[in-house]
Amino acid sequence: MKTIKDKVAKLSFVALLIAVSTAMFYTPTASAHGEKSQAAFMRMRTIHWYDLDWSKSQVAVNETVTISGKFHVFKGWPETVAKPEVSFLNIGIPGPVFIRAASYIGGQLVPRSVTLELGETYDFKVLLKARRPGDWHVHTMMNVEDGGPIIGPGKFIRITGSMSQFTNPVTTLTGKTIDIETWGLGDIYFYSFLWIGIGIAWMWYWCKSPVFVPRLIAVQAGKADSMISDTDKKVTMGFIAGTVALTAILMGSTNDAYPVTIPIQAGLMRDMVPLDIPEPTVSVNVDNASYRVPGRSMEMTLTITNNGDSGIRLGEFNTASVRFLDADVAEDEGSYPADLLAENGLSQSDNSPIAPGETRTISVSASDAAWEVYRLADLIYDPDSRFAGLLFFYDEAGNTQMVGIDAPLIPSFI
Amino acid sequence: MSASQSAVRSRAEAVSASRTLDYMILFTLFFIILGGYHIHFMLTGGDWDFWSDWKDRRLWVTVCPIVAITFPAAVQAVLWTRYRIAWGATVSILGLLFGEWINRYFNFWGWTYFPMNFVFPANFIPSAIFLDCVLVLSNSFTMTAIAGGMGWGLLFYPANWPIIAPLHLPVEYNGMMFTVADLSGYHYVRTGTPEYIRMVEKGTLRTFGKDVAPVSAFFSAFVSVIVYFVWHFFGLWFGKTDFVTST
Repeated sequence: MKTIKDKVAKLSFVALLIAVSTAMFYTPTASAHGEKSQAAFMRMRTIHWYDLDWSKSQVAVNETVTISGKFHVFKGWPETVAKPEVSFLNIGIPGPVFIRAASYIGGQLVPRSVTLELGETYDFKVLLKARRPGDWHVHTMMNVEDGGPIIGPGKFIRITGSMSQFTNPVTTLTGKTIDIETWGLGDIYFYSFLWIGIGIAWMWYWCKSPVFVPRLIAVQAGKADSMISDTDKKVTMGFIAGTVALTAILMGSTNDAYPVTIPIQAGLMRDMVPLDIPEPTVSVNVDNASYRVPGRSMEMTLTITNNGDSGIRLGEFNTASVRFLDADVAEDEGSYPADLLAENGLSQSDNSPIAPGETRTISVSASDAAWEVYRLADLIYDPDSRFAGLLFFYDEAGNTQMVGIDAPLIPSFI
Repeated sequence: MSASQSAVRSRAEAVSASRTLDYMILFTLFFIILGGYHIHFMLTGGDWDFWSDWKDRRLWVTVCPIVAITFPAAVQAVLWTRYRIAWGATVSILGLLFGEWINRYFNFWGWTYFPMNFVFPANFIPSAIFLDCVLVLSNSFTMTAIAGGMGWGLLFYPANWPIIAPLHLPVEYNGMMFTVADLSGYHYVRTGTPEYIRMVEKGTLRTFGKDVAPVSAFFSAFVSVIVYFVWHFFGLWFGKTDFVTST
């Protein structure tokens, strides 16, 4: 009986080891940035990204891809998220697989944090230079201080070639052209390991003679004060003087080698220039809105008034980067990520043009699996159950007008 | 052989056994210090030591020596009091740097491909040697805290200047001025570390014009003196053998 028990114990142990080892070697590729896990209300009511364009889907190392578009800073910014007074236009990529060659908001280079105004719309552009080969999910992203990262739509871009071919040249104001990728590496290694060598030499001097046991015995025997010899003290004085002298000499020679240096640059950039968008001639009132859980569908009743001089039609509802289109009115003309695009996701009780001066109440349904896939349905579990988004209206000439909506959302479970 | 007999039969064997023990203890001590000190420094010095665009003349100079003098003070207290060993600070820093270089090379560069000239660790060796030397020459923890702690803080910036100076060259890029280090921070995307997290050049120390690094170093040195006192007491407490005698 005991033998059987032992065998079972041994086999169990082996099985456990195999299970642990297998689990350790199972490392699936992470191909997203947790954007679906971010609270739905935060994605719906903070930054709305639209008119996005990724200039290429495949680039070679050293080539540049441009991500451009607009973002609207929502007026109904949630109380639970810090206002975008200190924000940084970032890019969501898995490490520096691209370098950020440049990023602009309203035509202004934004290497530092910026202040954004609620209710304004800005155009932006990020230039990424390919560095490391692979298929990388590239997101637009806005970091907000005390608010967290607000991630936008992402798209895969393939980089081909070899990282060893990557260069990052720049000319300094002292007239020297350097490759940032490797600049200063020689000095870093040389001085770091020179001093590590001196540190090892200091230890080696003391470790030549017995270290622990005899010294412990001597200290316990009350001989501690006689254990440091005159020679030891002379060597110590040599080390301390040498250390100070070498530090001073190296600092002096460095100042000679680099007479012009400047401090690290920092600071907040204010006065970002928003887009000059005319006041919309369309006004929209959300009479009610509900989310039907079984149907993955949001139903809205909208009262729309057209104060313009051309008939308009509702073509798109954009929320949390998911675009619900009415295929009769609008279609995606760019290269928007397919998983975020519901080409037939928007249906209306009446999608005929709303004439100038007309007020019409319509039922609108935004339905797609994206509600579930992108976890927007989780909105019903948020502490502030409001939804928000952008409505895009198209006039007879094909011009668009953007109107933001922000209203309570009532879930329907049956 | 009974338990009361010696394990060695000659002086030569005793010396040999003692040396073997030295190497085993040294090896173990090195990695224990490395583990504890590395975690401590990553949590307290963290980003200031990770990135070249955090290595400024105010906060980096101030923060790093203050949070780094902890383990050297404690290890010195144990090794000097119990063994009269003179390299407590140096072995701590060598352990820290061994861990940091492994982390930066294999993790930051090998795994996530940040260039090494952006993620190298700071150099603390001159400060550590100075601290050890003051203890040997003074045989006093008070003097080591005051003179050694001051030297520890004051030597940090000049000892690192040859490493960071090339990264402080000015660059004009798209109509703005950067240091090379700033440009590295902008180019090499840190998705989880937005620019506003960077704590550099903040504070009210504006009276000294461009010469703020020495003032920051002096402040750092003063605080290092205090931190040395506190942590050397931690070391003395940690090195006690009361629990052995009580059993």
